Amino acid sequence: MAPKPITSPVPDSWYPTLSVSMLAIGLVITASFFIYEATSSKRNRSLAKELTTGALASFFLGFGSLFLLLASGIYV
Amino acid sequence: MGFWLRFNLLVFTIAILSTPVLSDLILSKVDRRIDLTSQIVRITSTLKVENAGSGLVSEVLLAFQSFRLKIWYLMATTNEGKGKTKSAGVSLPVEIANPKGMPPALTVYSVSLSKALGEGDTMSLDVLAVFTHTLKPFPEKITQADIQLVLFQDSAYYLSPYAVKFQSLSIKLPDARIESYTKIENTKIHGSEIKYGPYENLHPFSYSPLVVHFEINQPFAVAQELVREIEVSHWGNVQVTEHYNIVHEGAKSEGEFSRLEYQARPHIRGSSAIRHFVAKLPPRAHSIIIGMKLGIYQHLICGLILKELLIEPRYPMFGGWRTAFIIGYSLPLQDFLFELEGKRFLNISFASPINDLVIDNLVVKVVLPEGSRDLSVSTPFPVKQRQESKISHLDVVGRPVIVLEKADVVPEHNQYFQIHYSFNKLSMLREPFMLISGFFFLFVACIVYVHVDLSISKSSASYLAKLQWDEVRATIQQVESIINQCLATHEKIEASLRDLSRIGDVQACKTTRKTADGLLKEHSKELKPLLAFLQSSPAAANILPKVEELVAKERELQERWMAKHSIIVDCYEKKLGGREIENRVAPQQQKVVALRQEVEDLLEYIDEI
Repeated sequence: MAPKPITSPVPDSWYPTLSVSMLAIGLVITASFFIYEATSSKRNRSLAKELTTGALASFFLGFGSLFLLLASGIYV
Repeated sequence: MGFWLRFNLLVFTIAILSTPVLSDLILSKVDRRIDLTSQIVRITSTLKVENAGSGLVSEVLLAFQSFRLKIWYLMATTNEGKGKTKSAGVSLPVEIANPKGMPPALTVYSVSLSKALGEGDTMSLDVLAVFTHTLKPFPEKITQADIQLVLFQDSAYYLSPYAVKFQSLSIKLPDARIESYTKIENTKIHGSEIKYGPYENLHPFSYSPLVVHFEINQPFAVAQELVREIEVSHWGNVQVTEHYNIVHEGAKSEGEFSRLEYQARPHIRGSSAIRHFVAKLPPRAHSIIIGMKLGIYQHLICGLILKELLIEPRYPMFGGWRTAFIIGYSLPLQDFLFELEGKRFLNISFASPINDLVIDNLVVKVVLPEGSRDLSVSTPFPVKQRQESKISHLDVVGRPVIVLEKADVVPEHNQYFQIHYSFNKLSMLREPFMLISGFFFLFVACIVYVHVDLSISKSSASYLAKLQWDEVRATIQQVESIINQCLATHEKIEASLRDLSRIGDVQACKTTRKTADGLLKEHSKELKPLLAFLQSSPAAANILPKVEELVAKERELQERWMAKHSIIVDCYEKKLGGREIENRVAPQQQKVVALRQEVEDLLEYIDEI
């Protein structure tokens, strides 16, 4: 059984594209989070909506920053 | 020098008289080739071993003089097949042996044969012995303009515990001046090659001193310490960083160094200096860094075709001078990391990629990603190993580091070694998870800040005013949403009217009208308490008139829409023409459009406050 070479789970050439797109999506969701915070009044706010928006934004921002680090040569 | 030779001769004669009879092997033919073209002395001996006695023999002894510094590399291979068919040699295990009765001035190695040699059988053995630090510079100190001369000492007869029937020796020297060499019988010189022999029927341990004094201009680069750090990242990269500390160990330089003379005539003034180092990197190496040890890294643009890196220090190195630098390069992961039966292993070269470099002390550190377990190392030669831990990017507990140490390394040691470990694929998600949780913490902090009431005084006028304003704003937003819903209902009525003009279904139109009526009634009911609240609260004083105006306008709009709708339905039932309809609807239509515009303006205005 010949040994199989191991590569990264995501192809190398995709790193810059993935980082830009994920960061863009994450920043858009962050923006919507902050707009919601700014325009809603105390009574209308819903904690569930805030938490889900924050969680989604942090997911995309986290992956986007990971691929940004990888694309710039810091192989973490 | 002469004293040493005479002492050894004495020891050997005593040894010959007191040596017990060894196994009856005879070396029927010995061909020795000594390569002196670089600082690394390589002696290749081809032995034809014959079992002249009875009984099986399973090991062959090789003897080397101990005063020569230790052997750095010893390899014995045997060739299957005779004559022209030379298959790849099978490497045989070689170990230091201490048989009884051997003179102490000799170091004896024992080669274990894979197939025991029977009576009368012959086999051929290739032995490669590599020595360094054996060429002695003589004179020991030279100036910039002198050439470098070195001494080499050995025995013209093959030193062996067995009798040798037929032997020959050829020494290959660099293409330069040969100062002197020992002349005994059967000595011939062809250009830069000296041939001794053939000599026949010599006793065991025969020895004849041989000294060659010659010029050599190859670089004598010795790395006193080399630390090689190999960092593996499962995201697709192997980063190798090498820290070199190199000394020129040829004839020491005395006197001044004149840069002018060196640059004018480098081959006469500074023939033995080290000008550059050539490193052969693996294919697909990229992002090469080289820097001096002061800590400033300079990126080299990587455009190498043959992947040979030329490193030129700021000054040429003369004898005794030293330099220190760091080389770093990145390699793609799939060339070096493999998976076999659930375990992963890293297959990478052990020693330095620089050509012709002798290393006194080599330390290889392999840094594996966090979460690797069950580490095991397999090297083709013995090394000292231990384990450490290193904290690097996005690490919680630290990455496991395997440290392998070996002293006395020559380029022959640059073979591949493997490190096996097991790694759970899910552990790769730990790194993005850390980043995600970092960002999420920021968002939670924002939410907490917005929800928590941080005012110090709860009864000051401004605080109370702020509270009231918040409530007013909330109410206004609710009013706005209701008005938007009313406008949506108007749109529905308009749509139904358009459908009517296309399809002519009066019944559907009427039902839409009924539902719209119901919705609008509900909305006005909802609006009532909100308006009441706004009227009662003092903070809404300035905005209240606008809101009331908005509500009034909206109501008027509603009435106009309903009127228009009834007119059109009426006309359809009476089957009047299109012209008539338009005439009757005209005044309503204008007002509707104007009112709608006003309502939208008011909404915008309220929004901005």
